Amino acid sequence: MKTEISRRRFIQGTVALTVVGASAAATALSKAEEKTKIVDFGLTKTSFSTNVQEVPTLCEMCVNKCAALARVEDGVITKLNPNPLFPKSRNMLCARGNAGIQALEDPDRLKFPMIRVGERGEGKFMRVTWDEAFEYVKDKMVKIIDEEEDNRSTIGYCAGEGMAEHTFQSFMNKKIGLKNFVNHASICLATTMSGYALTIGGYGQADLENAEYVIMAGANRAEAIITPDTMDMFKRTKGSGMKLIVIDPRFTNTAAHADKWLTIEVGTDLAFVLALTYVSMTEESYNKRYVEENFSDFEAYKKHIIGNEYTPEWAEKLTGIKADEIRKVARDFMAHAPRSIYYQGRRTAWSLQDFQLRRAQAIFSAMGGGIDQKGGIIFGDNIPLGKHEITAPLYTNTLGRIERGKAALIGNNGSWIAWRNTIIDGTSPYPVRALFAYKQNPMLSVPNTAKTKQMLEKMDLVVVIDTMPSDTVMMADVVFPESIYLEREDPIKTFGGAEPSIALRKKVVDAKYDTKPVIEIMRGLGEKLSKPLFEISRKYDEDLQEEIDDYDAESVFKDNGYDLADGFRHSQETINHHMVTSKHGEEAWKTLREKGVYYPNMDKYFKKLTVNNYEYYPEHKKSYSVIEGDLVNESYHDTCVDINEISVLKKTFRTETEKISCALYNLEEQKGVDAMPKWRDELYTPTPKGKFKFVTGRHGQFTQSGTSNNALLLDLLPENYVWINSRVAAAKDIKFGDMVEIKSSIGSIQIKAYPTEKIGNNVVFFIHGFGADSDELSLAHHRGANDNAIIEDKYEAIFGAAAMHETIVEVRRV
Amino acid sequence: MARYGMALDYKSCINCKACESACKEENGILLGADKHRIWVGVNDIAGIFPDLSIGSSSFEPSQCQQCDNAPCQEVCPTSATYYDDNGVVRVNPDQCILCTYCMQACPYDARYIDDRTLTVDKCNFCSDTRLANGETTTACQATCPTKVRIFGDLDDPTSEISQVLRDREHYSLKEHLGTKPKLFYLT
Repeated sequence: MKTEISRRRFIQGTVALTVVGASAAATALSKAEEKTKIVDFGLTKTSFSTNVQEVPTLCEMCVNKCAALARVEDGVITKLNPNPLFPKSRNMLCARGNAGIQALEDPDRLKFPMIRVGERGEGKFMRVTWDEAFEYVKDKMVKIIDEEEDNRSTIGYCAGEGMAEHTFQSFMNKKIGLKNFVNHASICLATTMSGYALTIGGYGQADLENAEYVIMAGANRAEAIITPDTMDMFKRTKGSGMKLIVIDPRFTNTAAHADKWLTIEVGTDLAFVLALTYVSMTEESYNKRYVEENFSDFEAYKKHIIGNEYTPEWAEKLTGIKADEIRKVARDFMAHAPRSIYYQGRRTAWSLQDFQLRRAQAIFSAMGGGIDQKGGIIFGDNIPLGKHEITAPLYTNTLGRIERGKAALIGNNGSWIAWRNTIIDGTSPYPVRALFAYKQNPMLSVPNTAKTKQMLEKMDLVVVIDTMPSDTVMMADVVFPESIYLEREDPIKTFGGAEPSIALRKKVVDAKYDTKPVIEIMRGLGEKLSKPLFEISRKYDEDLQEEIDDYDAESVFKDNGYDLADGFRHSQETINHHMVTSKHGEEAWKTLREKGVYYPNMDKYFKKLTVNNYEYYPEHKKSYSVIEGDLVNESYHDTCVDINEISVLKKTFRTETEKISCALYNLEEQKGVDAMPKWRDELYTPTPKGKFKFVTGRHGQFTQSGTSNNALLLDLLPENYVWINSRVAAAKDIKFGDMVEIKSSIGSIQIKAYPTEKIGNNVVFFIHGFGADSDELSLAHHRGANDNAIIEDKYEAIFGAAAMHETIVEVRRV
Repeated sequence: MARYGMALDYKSCINCKACESACKEENGILLGADKHRIWVGVNDIAGIFPDLSIGSSSFEPSQCQQCDNAPCQEVCPTSATYYDDNGVVRVNPDQCILCTYCMQACPYDARYIDDRTLTVDKCNFCSDTRLANGETTTACQATCPTKVRIFGDLDDPTSEISQVLRDREHYSLKEHLGTKPKLFYLT
C-alpha cells in the first residue's frame, strides 16, 4: 500500500512554534527585525574544523542513560551521536538525546545560586555566591534542628531519578541523618518492581530481542522509550518475529505495531489477567513441568482462581474484552511459551489494585515457564564495581518517617502522596519544616498540585537543586544550580542484563555558568554544616555526650562521621577511578575514559555486523539463564529501585526456597494484604455515564516536565492535546483545537482538543509534562496543561503508590 | 564517485522523530515546523473505535527522494540546484534567487526556505557535514532507534543497500512521474 503524506503534518503543521527571541512577545516586529531575533539555540551545523574531539558521555534527557559521543568542535558541542559500544542503547540516540545540546544552551537555565527576595512562589530571587547560599541554608537549618531538639527528620528531602541521586541521598540520609525521603518510585514503578520481586524473585528484563509472543498492557514502548526494549521489539513487530498483543484504551503508536489491539475499561486489567490464568488452568495448557519444579502454592492458587470463577465471561463484563478473545490470547500465549512475556510495565501507578495486578501478571507469565529463559523474563549478569564507603554518624533523637502506617509497606523511598498529605492534614507526629528537592519537580509530578503547593507554603525552608527554573524552583528559598550532564562527571554505573557492561558519564565541556555537580554542592554544604550541627547533637544527644566524655569531641567528630563533607571531598573522577581499578585494573579505566563503555573481552567480542547493527557478546556468552537455586541478587536493576529494600521485602515475605510465589501468607498475616491476587469490587470505580476516566502517559519527544522548555523538542510537539473520542466530541460540538475544560473533584484545567477514534467514549487522555506555571520558563510557560492539577491524590494500600488512573472527569467546551 | 541512495525499512518506524532532530542538529536547520529536511508522515487510522484497522495506520519517514530525474533541478533558472559527483541533488546557496520554482515542481514537498541563507534548501544526505568529514552514514540513519534506514552506494554491488534491494521487495514514491527516486521503501 502506498500513501502520500505531506510534510505539513498534524499538530506541527497546525501550531507551528515560532521561536523569536526567547519570548513569545513577538508582536509588531518587521520581517527584518524578526530575522535578527531568531535564536539558533545551538543548532550549529557541524563543520570541518580540525580541532574536533569525540567525547563519550551518557545521556540524561530521560532515565535510560544511553551512550553518546559528543562531537566537540573548538570547545563547542555541535552534535550528539550514538555510541555504538553500549549494549543497552544499541547504537541509537532518540529525539530527546539529540536535543541534549538545547538543554546546555537553554537561555532560561539556572545560572548561579539564588536566594528568594519576594514572597514564596512570587519568583523573585537575588543572585548570591555559593558561600552566601550555603551560609543561608546553614542558619535556617541550625535554627530548625535546634528547635526540634536534634530530630533531624524535621528536614524532608526528595529526589528525581538520576546517576547522582544516590550521592544526594547518601549525604542527606547517611551523613545528616534525615529519614523523610520521598522519590519517584511511588509515583512510578513501586508496585511492579515489588510485585515481580515478591512473585518471581526480581523485576528482571523482558527479553524482547527473542520473545515470540508479548502482551503489552498499558505500556507504550513506541512513545515512552525504554532501552533496549524499544529498539529490540519494533525491529521484530509487524510480521518480523514477534507477535504483539496490545491492551490499551488508547490506540497508541505501540498499538500501531500490534498484531492485535484490544481496548479495555480503565482499571480492569487485573480481571483480564485473572481470566487468562483461569483459561490456562482449566485447559491445563500451562507448562506443568516448570510449575511442578518452581512454583509454591500453585494448587492453592488454582483453587482460588477456579473457586472464585474468574471466567472469561466474568472478565468480559468488567473489561469489555470478549470472552473468546481472552481465551485466544491465553491459548496463544501458552502455545508460544516459554518465549512468551506478559510485559511488566514501567510507570505502573495506575489503580488501587495495581500491586495484585503485577503479581497476577508475573504468575501468569511464569506459568508458561518463560522466566530466566531466553525469550522470557531474564535476570542477566552484572559486572561488579568497587565500593565508595562513607562513615555515617548515629543520631539518637531522629524519629522515623511520618507516613508509616498510611500504607502496608512504606519503605525508604516513601509514598509521595501519603507523605505530603500527612504534612498538610495535621496527622504528622512531628512537624516537617524544611524540604530539599533534587532534580524533582513535585509541583508538576505529584498528583494534586494544589496540595503540593500548600505543603511547600508551610515549610520554613525550601532548597531546590535543579538545572531549570521549574515550578518547584519558583517555590524555593534557596536555589542551587546544578551543572548539566554534559558539564559534569557522574558516579560510574554498572548495567546488568544478558549483555552486561559498565558505562561512564564524563564531562564533555566546562560548566557554562556558575553551576556545580551534586557532589560539590554536598561538599560545600557539608563543610558549612558539620560543626554547627555537631554542636546541636552535643546539646541533645545523650549517647553522643557519653562518647565525648569517653574520648574527646574532636576525635568523635572525626572518627564517627560527623564531618559531613568526608566522603565527598574527592573529585568524582577520583572516586570512579578507585571503583573501576579496584576490580578491573587500569586498562579498564583507560578504556572507559576513551570509549565510555567497558566489559571484559569487549575488544574481542564487539563486532560490527551490518551498517546499523552490532554484536556485543557471542551468543553463548550472553547471560540468559543465571539462576542456580534461589535468585539472591538481581543484577538487572536501575537507580529507580532500592535494591536493599527489595531484598528485605523478599526475606520477610517469601520463604527462602521458593522461586515463584503464588501465595504470600506472611504478607497476609502481618500486613493484611491478600496473599493471592484477588479482584475486589470495592476498589474499582466504574465510569458514570456521561463522564470520563482520565489517563495520563508519556511521549517520545518529552520526558515529563524536565524537558518542557527544550526548543528543539517543542519544535516537534509544541503542546499537549486531550484525546477525546470524535463522536463524543461532535455531540459536544468540540472540534480539533477547540479549548475544553477538564474538571475533576480537585481542580480543572483547560487544554486544546484532539477528537479521534483512537480512544473510547468514556476515557480522555493527555500526556504528562506540560502546563508549567513558572514565568522563568519562557517557552514552557502556560503551554498545554498539567495533568496533576486534576489527578486526584488517591494511592494504593500496599506501597502508598499513586493511583493515577482513578480520577473521574467532566469535559466541556469553553 | 558513488551513486548514493537510501533504503527505508519503514515498517519498523515508531514515529519517535529522532531522525528529524538529528538532522536539525547535524545540519544546523532552523527551528520551525516548516523547516524540516526530513519528517515522518502519519497515515491516520481508518475505522470507528474500537473497530480500527491496524494495517491502515502507518508511519512513513519521508524527505527529498534524491531523484535521478529531479523536477526541482530541471526548473531551476540559475542552476542553483545541481547533481553532485555522487548523484546527490544539492543546492548552491550563492546561486539561489528564492524564485521557489523548485518548491512548486517537487512532487514530494521536500523543499523549504532557510531564512538565514535565503536558500530553498533540502536534504543533501549530509554531504557537506558527515560525508565531508569521512562518515559513511547520514545523521538520520546513525541515530534511528529501530534502524529504519540503510544508506549507501547503489553502484557498488557489494554494498548493503544494493544487497537489500536485491533481496527484498520495495517501492518508490510516485514512481509514475518518472522522477526515478533513490529512496526505496522496503515492504
